[in-house]
Amino acid sequence: MSDGIARSRLAEERKAWRKNHPHGFVAKPETRADGSVDLMVWHCVIPGKNGTDWEGGYFPLTLNFSEEYPSKPPKCKFPNGFFHPNVYPSGIVCLSILSERRGWRPSITVKQILVGIQDLLDQPNATDAAQTEGHQLYVSNPNEYRKRVQQQVLQYPQSL
Amino acid sequence: MKLNQENGGPLLPLLRSLVVADGAGLRNSGRVTATPPADSTKDDLEPLFDYRRVQPLNIVCLDDDCLDTSPVPSPKRRKFANPDVAEVDLDKDVEVIKVVNVEEEDWLAPPPVVSTKAYSKIGEDSTIKELRRRKQELLSFAQSAKSMLQEEEESAKQEPSGSSKLSLDAVAEQPKNPAPERAKIVISIQNKDEIKQFRIYMDDKFEKLFSLYANKAKLDLQSLVFSFDGDKINLAATPASLGMEDDDIIETFCLNLDMLTMK
Repeated sequence: MSDGIARSRLAEERKAWRKNHPHGFVAKPETRADGSVDLMVWHCVIPGKNGTDWEGGYFPLTLNFSEEYPSKPPKCKFPNGFFHPNVYPSGIVCLSILSERRGWRPSITVKQILVGIQDLLDQPNATDAAQTEGHQLYVSNPNEYRKRVQQQVLQYPQSL
Repeated sequence: MKLNQENGGPLLPLLRSLVVADGAGLRNSGRVTATPPADSTKDDLEPLFDYRRVQPLNIVCLDDDCLDTSPVPSPKRRKFANPDVAEVDLDKDVEVIKVVNVEEEDWLAPPPVVSTKAYSKIGEDSTIKELRRRKQELLSFAQSAKSMLQEEEESAKQEPSGSSKLSLDAVAEQPKNPAPERAKIVISIQNKDEIKQFRIYMDDKFEKLFSLYANKAKLDLQSLVFSFDGDKINLAATPASLGMEDDDIIETFCLNLDMLTMK
């Protein structure tokens, strides 16, 4: 049953996304080698917000939905070693709305997740460190932190 | 029925008057017959018992009760006695009354019976006629409907062949302009600031749409990049080739290099 609920919800999310989504964002279910679609894994792109150090970057993000979705949030994962105070070394994003114990609600949409993560890029939570390097630079060395962010933007240019 | 009505019509008032007269006579006769024996019984009983003369002398209260009680049974006796007395004393009157009653029943009953029968039969006739008319109407409707269905079926059988012939003819005659049969799709093109909707054919190349968009935006088509689901759209592609659906969004980006050259 949960399987049906998760997939039907994700099908609706995809349908809504195709009709309307914020500019620059990408969110599409994974296409397997045989051409079939896996609704449980979405490959997304989050653009860095304009007017911030993250502008110009298009950061790939993978959403892994469990069969318990939408009761449980998806795991949102940047590439390994992604530089951000609130991203674990594995690339998993630490965000309150993505925490089952804290801010997750089944009504939160994929669009809200991606926009929330975009906001998190430029507004890291200093009290919720997920990696030492990003956190220490953000707290102690803002200039070096900005340099690292701009380097990472160049690392993830628009793929068009 | 008509005869009865015709005969009954003029006779009814006379009969009613007779009945009324007879009824009055009956009532009067009944009362008359009822009262005289009561009086006779009183006359017979009073001399036998003489309660009225004796009781008032003894006790007043008891006398009143007795007086009250004594007349009470008397009417009962009257009621019970009256028919007997009437039958016995006035056999002829009773017989007449009975006849009158029979006549009353006959006279009173027939008019309504006649009327009801007449109305019912008339009603039946009218209703039957109406029912027959409605049946005929329904039958005619059903027949017309059947004929219509048959015609439609025949036309439907003919249409496909005709349409196919027409389509074949159209394809044969106008292979380059199958415009009316081409599927259309509504696509939104979104840039940083706004979303615009366009209606194009599923098998139209995007080059046409994008050049139109570039002209409207007063931008060089070469400076624009269009993407669908994160993938750049080839100008030779079509909505059908990309599996696009109604209201799908295409996103446009201005290439930074061109922006730099423009500056």
